Amino acid sequence: MNDETIGAFDGRQIRVMIDLRSYRLSAVKKAGYRIAARCTLILGSPLEHDLPVTFTFKPGTDGSTANEAVRAYFQELLDQELRESVVEETAPLRALILAQAFSRTDLIRRG
Amino acid sequence: MTPIRKHFRSSSEFAPAPHYRLLPLRFGRLDQRRYIVTNDVGEYVLLSRDELSALVERRLPTDSELYRALKARHFLFDEDSDCALDLLALKYRSRADQVANFTGLHIFVLTLRCDHSCRYCQVSRQLESATSFDMQQEHAELALEFMFRSPSPNLKLEFQGGEPLLNFKLLRWIVERALDLNRTHRRRLQFVIASNLANLNDDVLAFAREHEIYFSTSLDGPQDLHDAQRPRPNRDGYERTIRGIERIRAAVGPSFVSALMTPTQTSLGCVEQIIDEYVARGFHSIFLRSLSPFGFAVRNRLTGGASTDAWLAFYQRGLQRILDVNYAGYPLREEYSTILLQKLFSPRGSNYVDLQSPAGIGIGALVFNYDGSVYASDEARMLAEMNDHSFRLGRLGVDSYDAMMTSDALLDPLASTLLESSPMCSDCPYLPFCGADPVFHQATQRDPMGHKAFSGFCAKQMGAISHLLTRLEDDPHARRVLQSWV
Repeated sequence: MNDETIGAFDGRQIRVMIDLRSYRLSAVKKAGYRIAARCTLILGSPLEHDLPVTFTFKPGTDGSTANEAVRAYFQELLDQELRESVVEETAPLRALILAQAFSRTDLIRRG
Repeated sequence: MTPIRKHFRSSSEFAPAPHYRLLPLRFGRLDQRRYIVTNDVGEYVLLSRDELSALVERRLPTDSELYRALKARHFLFDEDSDCALDLLALKYRSRADQVANFTGLHIFVLTLRCDHSCRYCQVSRQLESATSFDMQQEHAELALEFMFRSPSPNLKLEFQGGEPLLNFKLLRWIVERALDLNRTHRRRLQFVIASNLANLNDDVLAFAREHEIYFSTSLDGPQDLHDAQRPRPNRDGYERTIRGIERIRAAVGPSFVSALMTPTQTSLGCVEQIIDEYVARGFHSIFLRSLSPFGFAVRNRLTGGASTDAWLAFYQRGLQRILDVNYAGYPLREEYSTILLQKLFSPRGSNYVDLQSPAGIGIGALVFNYDGSVYASDEARMLAEMNDHSFRLGRLGVDSYDAMMTSDALLDPLASTLLESSPMCSDCPYLPFCGADPVFHQATQRDPMGHKAFSGFCAKQMGAISHLLTRLEDDPHARRVLQSWV
């Protein structure tokens, strides 16, 4: 992601292009969900590796608020991308730990 | 025959990498310079962004202090970790154990009648003379039968209203009948009366002493504030409550009465005076509660103004005051913080029903309403008073225990609100310290799961836990007091 791919605030929206070689689509979506109270993300169809994303703001939002939301989004996206890699690596271990945790319970007999 | 290998991953997939291997973890920003990293059993560490990246990218030096700390708290394991996975599994099982115990708290709404006219009343009280809003003995008998179907070894019966002492005859009958039935069932029973104490008399006190019954009352703060928020004919609500507290302490025992405060826009501005009142009245605990979005509180528009931000400021100021009281030598515990601290530091977490995943509705608490309806929680019946019956499980004498406890009204919200599979919650570092609140989100967003980016509950939890962690980490004096509450 570089500055050239972030559009200007037009009073309602900011358009950006996200490189899917740097960020997973799942991370893009989750980061968007987290900032839903500040703006709505509209995801377009990917063009090669580029994903067009439109940040839409409530009427009356000023430019600095909008730009701050986009900055916060990309900060969150970095974290989300890191989370995705952690989850990917540890998912089998989490399943194993949970299986081990409940292997000796008597939930069925209790019912 | 299918070879067994097709169904199992290779053991090498679970073995530590040559350097080290990550264990499941979640992280998020605590403040501008620190991240909080947690695991499924509530262990936590604070790291800088660089340290977090180094951990995830396996660049941590194995001889560093940070590496040893992360290994000791189960965030990574290596070839020297003999039993990291077994230990984590054991800790996870301990924290989840209460789910298997099933419903412990059973609330009996003995009447909707009340002699107070509190502005924030969450249960839509009725006039004192309206006896058609009293629970009948047939329903009480069926409720007891229902309660003993729970496999929990500990059963708490809480009597609520309205004002439950206005139907003391039935209260007495339920206690005696429960004890009678318990000769067969052999559970540990506990009785609690949630009362404003205005109708406390010698009969009630003698009965409470005989059966070791606890009282939970409302004390909103100093006299002016209490009487303004909890009006009663003759404006003597405060006097009667204080007199009741003293009589219970003398007749039943000092530990048999506790008090709760309910915040309003007015009280949010005077948390110090409220805390001082609790100290003056000899209490050693106070619960800085937030206002639920139910009942008269909504009709009187008390929830909108009392926003989450305002409540968080109230909580933070209150916590500081409570710490100061402790520094001065008077032990005083804040209950909401204590619940969070138990989740942070106790191997078993906390059994507080409103902060569980799966949610505590039905499987942690049940409500038998005055009219025989069964609700999945106290808040669920408050919601019903607002004509939303989403969490009404059925009716005593009509629907069976099995039908109600396996009803869609219970199982659907339980399944759909598990934090571990909820958007935003599933990767939130505060998950081990939080809980699902389907009734709150149904009330505020018409959806049991709710969108957490718009959730006052989520904002409150995040704000309070962040503040508590900051105090724990940055203030050794505060840490000493806070840890003493667990």
